[in-house]
Amino acid sequence: MLFLSPALLWFLAAAAVPIAIHLINRRRHKTIQWAAMQFLLKASRESRGKKKLRHILILACRALGIAALALAAARPIVSGLIGWGGGSIDTVVLLLDRSASMEIKPGDGLEARRQIVIKKVRDAMNDLGAARLVLIDSASNKPQEIPSPDILPELSAAAATDTAADFPMLLSRAAEFLSDTPGRAEIWMASDLQSSNWHPGDERWSAARASIAALPQKPALRVLSLTGATAQNAALSLLGSRRSGDELLIDLEVLRSGEARGTASVPLTTHLNGTRTTETLTLPGQSLRFQKRVALPPGSETGHGWLSIPSDGNPRDNAAFFAFGPARPVKSIIVSPPGESADYLALAAAPPGFGSLSTSRVDPAMAASAITADLAAILWAAPLPTGPTADALQRFLASGGHVLFLPPGSASDAAFLDMKWSAPGEAPAGKFFILTDWNHDDGPLRDGIDGTPVAANRLKAIRRQMPVGDTAPLARWEDGEPAIARRIIDRGTAWFLGSSPDYAWSNLGDADVLLPAVQRILTAGAGRFDASYLASVGSDAARILPGETRTRLDDHGDPDPANSEYASGVFRLGDRLIALNHPPSEDAPEILSRESLDAVLDGTAYTLLDQAGQSNDPSLARDVWRAFLIAVLLFLIAEALLCLPKKETLNLKSEIQNQKSPSPISS
Amino acid sequence: MHSFIDNDLLSRLGSLPIESRVPMMGNVAGKHRSPHRGSSVEFAEYRKYVPGDDTRRLDWKAFARSDRFYIKEFEADTNLRAYFVVDASGSMKFAGKGESKIQYARRIAASLAYLLVNQGDAAGLSICTDKLRLEVPPSRRAAHLERFFSTLGKLEPSGETGLIPALHTIAEKIGQRAFVVILSDLFTDPALLGEALQHLRYRKHDISVFHLMDPLEIGFEFDRPHRFVDLEDGTALVAEPNLIADEYKTALREFLTKVRAKCNDASADYQLVTTDTPLEPLLRDFLTARLPKSKH
Repeated sequence: MLFLSPALLWFLAAAAVPIAIHLINRRRHKTIQWAAMQFLLKASRESRGKKKLRHILILACRALGIAALALAAARPIVSGLIGWGGGSIDTVVLLLDRSASMEIKPGDGLEARRQIVIKKVRDAMNDLGAARLVLIDSASNKPQEIPSPDILPELSAAAATDTAADFPMLLSRAAEFLSDTPGRAEIWMASDLQSSNWHPGDERWSAARASIAALPQKPALRVLSLTGATAQNAALSLLGSRRSGDELLIDLEVLRSGEARGTASVPLTTHLNGTRTTETLTLPGQSLRFQKRVALPPGSETGHGWLSIPSDGNPRDNAAFFAFGPARPVKSIIVSPPGESADYLALAAAPPGFGSLSTSRVDPAMAASAITADLAAILWAAPLPTGPTADALQRFLASGGHVLFLPPGSASDAAFLDMKWSAPGEAPAGKFFILTDWNHDDGPLRDGIDGTPVAANRLKAIRRQMPVGDTAPLARWEDGEPAIARRIIDRGTAWFLGSSPDYAWSNLGDADVLLPAVQRILTAGAGRFDASYLASVGSDAARILPGETRTRLDDHGDPDPANSEYASGVFRLGDRLIALNHPPSEDAPEILSRESLDAVLDGTAYTLLDQAGQSNDPSLARDVWRAFLIAVLLFLIAEALLCLPKKETLNLKSEIQNQKSPSPISS
Repeated sequence: MHSFIDNDLLSRLGSLPIESRVPMMGNVAGKHRSPHRGSSVEFAEYRKYVPGDDTRRLDWKAFARSDRFYIKEFEADTNLRAYFVVDASGSMKFAGKGESKIQYARRIAASLAYLLVNQGDAAGLSICTDKLRLEVPPSRRAAHLERFFSTLGKLEPSGETGLIPALHTIAEKIGQRAFVVILSDLFTDPALLGEALQHLRYRKHDISVFHLMDPLEIGFEFDRPHRFVDLEDGTALVAEPNLIADEYKTALREFLTKVRAKCNDASADYQLVTTDTPLEPLLRDFLTARLPKSKH
């Protein structure tokens, strides 16, 4: 609560007047000679408890009535946004979440959450009077002084974007800014608390908190939570795309808002080279992941387009843009001595009939020269490389390539990136090593895009070797030992599979596991060739390089030139063709829990203002002097009621008169 | 002339006799019924002649009719002796906004004594504090009234009440039936008061109780804290009257109910009187209520 006329708060001292009068009256008693002392003594003994409480309540009502009057005169402004404090605020730093998810509307016909909260902030700032407003928006992450709160709704720095937000960074930037700003400051964090924007597990939070704590005058933190009910919405996300010959394979996801129930039909429109085709998607639940095959015009080298669903609760998540370049073959090599294992790997890497896939076996001794940048992936079924071969492989990984390591078959001390193979182990006679636990959402054994699981439980191994070193297991044998592990190296990934497609080792050759795993690794490895055509808004790839200019190629929607840097669409950046989409994480429905919010803002004594994004509450701060006047009235009424004498008291005289009845003798 | 005597009031009340509610045993003839047979004109009963009876009282007409000797008996009329018991304890000195209780008691006692003597009855006075202090024996002489009034006028209330022992003393001391008028605020134990009244009743006295209360004692209306000092023993108490008014009135109500019940048990004529009550209607109602029903 803030007071627009804090000087009048001195009148709060007047609340002590009734108590002082009471105490003075008690001392200024009058002496009277009294006859009916026996009743007085008895009454004095019995007059405890309720009477005393009643008298205290009367005094409290009088004191509170005066206090409420003084508070009303001081013109209080109240809300969860503005805390208690008589002093004025010098600076307000507004951390504005401009992510795509902030464009959702709380209800049909209403404005987006971002627009609602901006107007509320504007009104609150006008109530605060002379406070300075500094905006740090989640798109630019740069502080910007706002000369007048009234221009906030029209400011391009507060307009809608298709970016994600990074709140640990925003808070650090706020602390950075306030370190040079004297006076009493507050940080208002306006956000829909989307978990992906707050990064609750991020270690940068501790640094941000430390920066806040280190400020000479600790600012108050207010979180304007923009959660709550929303209008019906379906979000279209592009998860990835790759060209396969004359087809573009686009992985898509449609996510309906949390309140949606039952099956729904959503028309999906494809725009490509000026032509438009529409098909109907049937959403059996809240989400649907599917692969859309877009037939490309024969002989086309490059192109772009977009897919869209009808406009709904959030207009920023209804289009997915794509661009593509010339088709290129998916090449791989198998570094292995000749044998059954190499044969099965070759079949898995380039099954017959898939002309775009090619592979060749390379002898381990010749591997260094065979490792080239145009390879999608390398299947390494040999002892771990050392020397120049290891250096070449490491460069391949750093550039975004994928390498699948399979057991060399014998114990070896050779190490690559501090990784080793354990000594081979054999299953007890008549038993197998089987997979019981694997990651269904990530890695080469993840479920299919339609949810179909890989039949990894059919894998039976009699021999195995386990990767030793710092890896993240994605599948485990029944005894808990890692079967498939991953090690991220710069932009690439090294995969470790604990058995070989050899009849003396396992039934990996049956293709239930090997084929999908190898194909997914190849696809991931080849993805880096198509990745240059696709990026998320706000990512490094979406930034223009020196000398480049940004030109928008698509004609979707009504682009805002001032915010083209933060908008999705198909762009030409210099010579680059790139489709920019809102980050898929913006469609994730996970909201930061109160516990997580407490954890990330631990020690900041923040205030949470719930439902700040709801439109039925027009203001974040309200002038509440009327409420205090009503309180004065209520206190006075309560005091009057408490002072009312009881009926018995009023009737005692008449009762005594009635006692003058005729004598018992005469009657 | 005493301040508590209102000649106009007495002249207006002079037409109303003071009647006893029980037969009196006076020593001279008077206008009140006696338990004995006497020589009044009012027939009482016939009884058989027994040797020794005065033959002058034989009813010869009855003998002529029945050939038997009957004695015709008549009611005896005698005078009334009244004892005014005035409580002179310190509490009777209390005066709220009007006159004190003792002054009001003086006016009642003086007025009734005048009327009694005026109709040929005797009036006596007992003044009690924590011990029976003054006593004016009953007399029906007009000159006696001056002593009665003078004693009342000199009366100065002080100390604790001695009403209960005084009533017991009077009950024992008065040999014959009498009219006992008690004027007090009765600030004593109602149980003990009841016993004293029963004692008087046992002695077949006609009891009237004027329970005197000040309006302030009943209303208990104060606008500020007060230091209350007991008129009898000097005990002091600082209190906020508004806070304890309900409890005070509850205690007072309980006390009045008990006192009234004790008076009723002893067949006493109980009058609860506040000192702001005009005296004439009070006494007129009192005297009228005591008249036999045939005289109403």
